[in-house]
Amino acid sequence: MQQHDIQSFLERFFAATHCPVLERSDGHIRVQLTVDMDKQLMNRPFYWHYVERIGASGEPLQLSLITKQSTHEKGEYIHFGSPRLHQIFSVAKMNGRFVRLYERVSGRSVALHPWLHVNILISYECDRKQDRLLSLAIHLISGTIVEAFYDVLKEKKWAATVPDYCFTISPLIKPIHGLARLEAYIERIITSETHEWANEARARWEEDLALLQHFYEGVEEKREEYESEKEALRQRYEPNIHISIINGGLFYLEAK
Amino acid sequence: MNVTIHWERSWKDEFITRMERDGPWANWELYELAREAAEALAIPQFDGLQAPKHLPHMTILPHQYEVARQVVEEMNGKAILADEVGLGKTIEAGLILKEYMIRGLVKKALILVPASLVSQWVQELNEKFFIPAVAQKKSYVWEQCDVVVSSIDTAKKSPHREIIYEQAYDIVIIDEAHKLKNNKTKNYEFVQGLKKKFCLLLTATPIQNRVEEIFHLVSLLKPGHLGNAEQFQKRYGKLRTLHDDAHLKELIRKVMIRHRRHDTGIEWTKRHVETVFIDFSEAERNVYEAIQQLKRAQPLFSDASLSHITLLREICSSKEALFCTLKGMLERQPNIEATIGTLLQKMNDITEHTKAKKALELIQKINDKVIVFTEYRATQLYLQWFFKQHGISSVPFRGGFKRSKKDWMKELFQHRAQVLIATEAGGEGINLQFCNHVINYDLPWNPMRLEQRIGRVHRLGQTKDVNIYNFVVRHTVEEHVFMLLYEKIRLFERVVGELDDILMKLTSPSFSNHVERIIAQSKSEGELKIKMQNVVEILTNMEDGAHAAT
Repeated sequence: MQQHDIQSFLERFFAATHCPVLERSDGHIRVQLTVDMDKQLMNRPFYWHYVERIGASGEPLQLSLITKQSTHEKGEYIHFGSPRLHQIFSVAKMNGRFVRLYERVSGRSVALHPWLHVNILISYECDRKQDRLLSLAIHLISGTIVEAFYDVLKEKKWAATVPDYCFTISPLIKPIHGLARLEAYIERIITSETHEWANEARARWEEDLALLQHFYEGVEEKREEYESEKEALRQRYEPNIHISIINGGLFYLEAK
Repeated sequence: MNVTIHWERSWKDEFITRMERDGPWANWELYELAREAAEALAIPQFDGLQAPKHLPHMTILPHQYEVARQVVEEMNGKAILADEVGLGKTIEAGLILKEYMIRGLVKKALILVPASLVSQWVQELNEKFFIPAVAQKKSYVWEQCDVVVSSIDTAKKSPHREIIYEQAYDIVIIDEAHKLKNNKTKNYEFVQGLKKKFCLLLTATPIQNRVEEIFHLVSLLKPGHLGNAEQFQKRYGKLRTLHDDAHLKELIRKVMIRHRRHDTGIEWTKRHVETVFIDFSEAERNVYEAIQQLKRAQPLFSDASLSHITLLREICSSKEALFCTLKGMLERQPNIEATIGTLLQKMNDITEHTKAKKALELIQKINDKVIVFTEYRATQLYLQWFFKQHGISSVPFRGGFKRSKKDWMKELFQHRAQVLIATEAGGEGINLQFCNHVINYDLPWNPMRLEQRIGRVHRLGQTKDVNIYNFVVRHTVEEHVFMLLYEKIRLFERVVGELDDILMKLTSPSFSNHVERIIAQSKSEGELKIKMQNVVEILTNMEDGAHAAT
């Protein structure tokens, strides 16, 4: 994410969370937070606790954010490393985890098919780390699995309720079973990879382990120290893959 | 495939609940933003550094970037960072820590630094790196905070020690790690017992006296890398420097990175050195002479020669410094009252110090921030008083100050006072780049300490040339030491690094003792000069040797 992408991300974030923008210029925005966003972003639980206790309505704060240092406005400077942006990232991730959406079809009567879509984060981890994002969907009628389905979804317009004249087809495969099939599919993808990174990590591990054993050879009284160092090596080098779902949900699409 | 897969299934459970309750559901925009946030945070590759793009406001120098990259990519997160003084080892360590935190490989970090540096580390990590580091002040901090900065002296004590040993640290960073060169110390043993996945040891002087020291340092980091103790002793025990063995040098290169100033390509500001000679007033000269005569008045001092030298050095600084020592002597040996009484009387004749007047003049002329270093606390107090009489505001600085007081003094100096008067012990642990004038009111006999003094101001971040004024009283011990030691090897004008090789060999405590002994035991000026000449010669040879090897 480049510096110039940050302002548009912020504007879209506050629009999606229904926080009115009070001022906007190149490199600066000022927004009025909603009560909900104030609670999630401003870190003042005592204030809200107190307000609620006395039955008052409470006043959410405004946020003034700067994305270009050349601007003369006052506010928090937001760049890729700033804690505020990372907080907004995590609020976005938290609030956008689950969806159920219907394709916006206007003026026609069509059947909408159920799909289960998930964005997945795969982390390859040893003493180093690399992530990979996957987007997978399963058609809950036929069981067909499609990769990079997010690109398809992005092209469409979405509504929270079934559009007029349209009707949905009930899943033949229960979403929960669909998810299990996606999990199995991901594991197959991973198993088919060569995992050179893991072999290299194991080689580094063995090399260090040999040195360690040599160092403590014949020193019986330092058994405990040896074991602790050995465990540290395991934690450092042992290759592991962590998989988590970033977000996902049910999408009802017009059949093609 | 020999890799374990771990599923994080919290999404699934929550999804089931939401289906049962028919919501709540997010809108498409939030769904998209969540995915974009995840994309922005994902680590695209094993190689390279992510940290710099999180730190757009920082100027990361090429050698600093290179150190961080090498530690992460090639050294697997365990390294001795041994750049010369002033190249930004803290920045390098911060970068590495940040990189691992961004990659999610480090959550819990323990940073052990000298007590005087704790708040500085905390501040830098928070402000420069956005790492929420906390200074350990209460014992619950160990468990509840992820990134903790503490002094090793606090950490190793009960009950902290026990709590710390319960924690599994992802990274342990130790500043001034040369203090761990001896494997028989409590500090060493303490660090050895820490559970640490990654580890960084920071020191500008990885070897000070013996090659063995590097063995202990490396064994702390990576046990076995240099073999076990017995083998190392057998194979390398007799080496005087690392340069003598190509294989050992190569091995060490795998765990240690060292940049010198001249290979960083950075333009350093210059050092201007000026020697300010001072002639004693008659009254001062009388006291000095009187002390010299005392030398013959055995058995005045229990360790005659050393105390005698001490007194001579003190009167070169101030009569206040001398007075403190005399008072102490008198308390221990009441029988010398008569001798000392005469001396005290002579001291009464000193109304003003020539040196102090000179310092005042110079400070007024400079008309900018000045740091005055003295070896003696009594002189420090005297100077503070003396400057105040003449309308110059100053703040004192001592090693013994608490962290918060040190920070406060630094603040005061930066914003309110013109002069900071520091005693020797205050030389370590503060950075004062905003000042570029240093007065060495009296000179330490250990050149390494002198470097530490100058290093406070002549470091990265110093934008102006640094002016160093050395005060030397003519025809005294000061002049002898100065002429022979400082002048001959031209210590002041060198940048820190060039001297590393020889200075490392000089820092053994025996060195300054050696010089003291020469001065004390020489029966004539001639003998003194010859003996000092010899010292200089040895130093010069060492230096040549070091250059030849690099």
